[in-house]
Amino acid sequence: MTSDVLPITPTSGPAETISPPGTLEIRHVSKAFPNVQALTDVSLDIRPGEILAFMGENGAGKSTLLKIINGDYQPDEGMLSIDGQKLEFKNPYAAHKAGVRVIYQEPEIIPGVDVAENIWVGELPKRYGWVDRRKLNEKVHDGLVNYGFDGVLPMNLLGEQLSSAQRQVVEIMRALKEGVRILALDEPTSSLSDEEVDRLFTLVRRLRDEGVAIIYVSHRIKEILRLCDRVAILRDGQLITVEQASDLTDSDIVRLMVGRELSDVFKRQTAVTGREVMRVENLESNWHHDINFHINAGEVVGFAGLVGAGRTELAKVVFGELPKNSGRTLLNGKEVNIHLPIDAIANGIGFAPEDRKREGLILVRSVLENASIAILSRLSHFHFVSSRMERAVIGDFVEKLKVRTPSLDQEVGKLSGGNQQKVVLARWLAAKPKILILDEPTRGIDVGAKAEIYHLIDELANEGLGIMLISSELSEILGLADRIYVMQNGRITGELSGESATEEKVLGLAMIDHMTAASAVSISEENTPV
Amino acid sequence: MNTESTSLPQNQPKMTEKRAGTFQRILGFIGADNLSLIFALFLLVFLVTVASKWFGLDGGDKFFSWQNLMNSLAQAIVIVGLLSIGETIVIIAGALDISVGSIASIGSVVAASVLAGIGTVGSLHILPTDSVIIAVLAGIAAGVIAGAINGGIVTFLRVNPTIATLGTLAAFAGFAFLLAPDGKPIGVMTQPDFTWLAQGRFLQDLTFMDLGGSKWTGIPVLTVILVGVAIIFHVVMRYTDFGRAIYAIGGNATAARLAGINITRVRMIMYMISGGIAGLAGVLLAARTTSGNPVNGTGLELQAITAVFLGGAATAGGKGTIFGTFLAVIMVGVLNNGMNLLGFNTFTQRVALGFLLVAAVAISQYRQSTADRARKTAERR
Repeated sequence: MTSDVLPITPTSGPAETISPPGTLEIRHVSKAFPNVQALTDVSLDIRPGEILAFMGENGAGKSTLLKIINGDYQPDEGMLSIDGQKLEFKNPYAAHKAGVRVIYQEPEIIPGVDVAENIWVGELPKRYGWVDRRKLNEKVHDGLVNYGFDGVLPMNLLGEQLSSAQRQVVEIMRALKEGVRILALDEPTSSLSDEEVDRLFTLVRRLRDEGVAIIYVSHRIKEILRLCDRVAILRDGQLITVEQASDLTDSDIVRLMVGRELSDVFKRQTAVTGREVMRVENLESNWHHDINFHINAGEVVGFAGLVGAGRTELAKVVFGELPKNSGRTLLNGKEVNIHLPIDAIANGIGFAPEDRKREGLILVRSVLENASIAILSRLSHFHFVSSRMERAVIGDFVEKLKVRTPSLDQEVGKLSGGNQQKVVLARWLAAKPKILILDEPTRGIDVGAKAEIYHLIDELANEGLGIMLISSELSEILGLADRIYVMQNGRITGELSGESATEEKVLGLAMIDHMTAASAVSISEENTPV
Repeated sequence: MNTESTSLPQNQPKMTEKRAGTFQRILGFIGADNLSLIFALFLLVFLVTVASKWFGLDGGDKFFSWQNLMNSLAQAIVIVGLLSIGETIVIIAGALDISVGSIASIGSVVAASVLAGIGTVGSLHILPTDSVIIAVLAGIAAGVIAGAINGGIVTFLRVNPTIATLGTLAAFAGFAFLLAPDGKPIGVMTQPDFTWLAQGRFLQDLTFMDLGGSKWTGIPVLTVILVGVAIIFHVVMRYTDFGRAIYAIGGNATAARLAGINITRVRMIMYMISGGIAGLAGVLLAARTTSGNPVNGTGLELQAITAVFLGGAATAGGKGTIFGTFLAVIMVGVLNNGMNLLGFNTFTQRVALGFLLVAAVAISQYRQSTADRARKTAERR
C-alpha cells in the first residue's frame, strides 16, 4: 500500500501536446472473465486539462476499463502509470488515495448522515476525540461555494434525502477534497434534468481548466460532442480509435462503434410468419411511454436498445411482474388482464428473465423441480404430483435441449450457466406457451451453448411460437430477429425489418436523440449560465 | 435446420432413469443429510447408556426399558414433535413462526373450554359438550385462525415473519389468558374420553419380551397421533404441488413468483397449517395435563425451532425434510430423557438445549456455505 500512493502535486496549467506531466498512461491492458474477453490490449493516454469521452456499445469494455482505473478490477496484463510511476490499485481506496477516482451513476451515500459528514466520511475533523462540527461545516461550505454548489446542495440534508444529481455532487466533492488528478464520470447525466446537466458541465469544464484529467462516459452523442475534447471508441474490448471531438459527427461515431464482422454469427432464415398472437397498445408505465408493438406466431421479434432503455422493464410489465398505468394487451385479438405473472402464464406467456440466478431459478432445488414448476397443476391429480408423468415430460425436454446434467435430481445451482439457462427454457417449453419472452438468453454462457440456444430459438419460431427477444448483443438481434423494435428512454423509437436492419440503423435509433429537440438547441448555447 | 454445423458434442450421455437398487432407494428415502443425524442419534444413545458410566454417572441403564422408552421418551417428544412439524414447513419456506407455543396455549384453553362449557368468547357462551371430536376440532380451528392472523400480517402487511410472530407470540399468550376465566386453568379431569388422548394405549395386549426389567406397556395414543401427523405432512411436502411450492418459495421467492406460484396463497395456507398443528398440540397438552392451562405452551417454540434446524433445514429456506426434523425431535427427546435419567436438573437441560440450537444453526450455515462454494465452482466450469 505504499508504492502505489503518490504525493499529490498540484497539476499545472492547460494541456501540452504530447504526454504532459500527470498523464495517466494505460498500456496494453487486457482483462478476461469466464467466457468473455472484456478488454484486449488497450493503450490510451488520459491527459490533464482534457475531457476524454469513452464510447461503445453495451459490452464494448467501457465499464471494465473504468473499473480497472478505479481499482475495482486488476488487469490481467498491461499496466497503468503516471509520470513513469507504475500504479497498482489493490482496491478503490488505493486509487482514491492516488488521486484517481471513478464516479458511478449511483455513488455510495450513507443515508442517515448529512451532506457534510458524507463528504468527509472516514476523515472527519476531530477535536478532543469528538467531531469538530464547526470546522467540518466550514470546510464543506467553502468547498461548495468554491465550486458553485452552495445553492444546490444544502449541507444539512441527510443522505437519504438527496437526489441523484446531489449524490453525484457529494461524490465529486469527496474526490475534490482528496485532490483528484484523474476523474471519471460514468453516465453522469442519465438521471439529471437539463438544468442540472448544464451545471455539471460547467463544473467539469472548470476542473479541466484547473488541470484535472477527465474521462466522460455516456451514450448521449450530442452531449459528448458538446463537452468533450477527444473521443475514444471501444468495440468488443478493443480500442478502435481516439479522435478529436471536433473532427467527428453523430454518424461517424455510430459507424465507428459498430462495423463488426457478422460472418461467424448465426443467421436465421426468416420463416413464414402466422397471424398475430400478441398486441400491446398505448402502454404507459412508470418506465414507459406510449409503447405499441405486436408479435406474430412463428416470429422472432427483437427488442434492441442500450442498457437502461426500458426493455427488461417492458418484458416485466407485459408479464405482470411490474405494474402498468394504462394500455391494453391483446392475445389472439382478445383483450386480457394481466396483473400478476400467474395471469400471464395462464394466458400462454412464458418469461425467461435476464438474471437467471436471482429471478429464473431456484438454485437449491433439482433440475426436475425447476423445470416442472410452471406446469405442476397439469401434472397433478388432487394436488398430488404424478412423479411418473413429471419425469416423462421433463425428461423429454431436458433431452431435447441437451441439458448436461448427471440426473434430473441434480441441484440446478451445480450446473454450468448454459445448462442452467436450458433448464429455464425447458420449463417454458413444457408449459407450451404461445409467446415466449427471452431476456438476454445468452448472457454469461459459453460460445457452444450460445450456438445451441440460437438454433433452439430458430427452431421454436419455426414451430409457430412467437418470441420476444431482448438482447444487448446487436449481432444476436440481427442474426435472429425477423423484426426489430428499437427502444430508447422508455419509448419505441423505431421498427426495422430483419433484412433491412443494420448495426448502424439500430444504434442510430437507440442513441441519437429523436424525441427531444431541446437538446439539439442547447448545443448552440455553449456557455449556458449556471 | 442444420444441426451438423454446430459444434455440439455428439457423445451426449443418454439420460435414462435407471431403476435404483434397494439400497439406493432406502438411502434416497432417508437422505444423505439424515444419515449423519441417525449416526448422531446412535452416538447420543451410546453416551447416555454406556459412556455415562465412565464418568461415574448412574441411571443410564434404565434407558432401554419399556417403561422409559414407551412412557417417558415416546410421550415426551409428542408436543414438541407436532410443533416442529409445522415449523419445518414454515422454515423450508424461508420464514419463521415463533408464535407456535402461544397458539398451543390457545388451543389448550379453547378445547378445555368447549368441554367444560365455562369459557366465553366475547358475548358468545360456549355450551358444555361431551363430544371429544368437537373439542379437538375447536382447538385446531382456534390454531388455524391464529395462523391466519400470522399469515395475514406477513403477507398483506409485509411484516418480517420473525418480527410478526414475535409480536403474536406475546399477543396470543395474552389472549390465552383472556380466554380462560380469570386466567385460571380449566379442569377437564372429569372427561375420561378426552384424557384418553394422553393416557390411552394401543396394542396393550401384545406380549413382547421384557426390556430392562419392565413389561410391554403398549403404544401411547399420543405417539400414534404424532407419527400420523408426521406421515401426512411428509407426504404433503414430498408429493404434492403445495409441498413443491413451499420449497420453491423458500429457495427463491422471486423465481417462484415468476414461474407462476401464488406466493400469497401458499404463505397463508402455510401459516394456517402451522397454527392448526400447534392448536392440536395444545389440545393434547390439555389432555395430558388434564387442564386447559394458558401457560401450557409457553417456551415450546424454542425446542421446536431447535429441532427443525437440527433436522437439517436451511436457515435460508428451500431445504429440509419432515423426516429429518422427526429424527431431530427424537434426538432432543433422548437428550432431555438421558439427562433426566443421569440426574441433571432442568436448568442444566435448558443450557444444553440453548447451545444445541446455536450448534444446529451453525452446522446449517456451514452446510450452506460449503454448498454455495460447490455451486460457484460448478458455475465456473
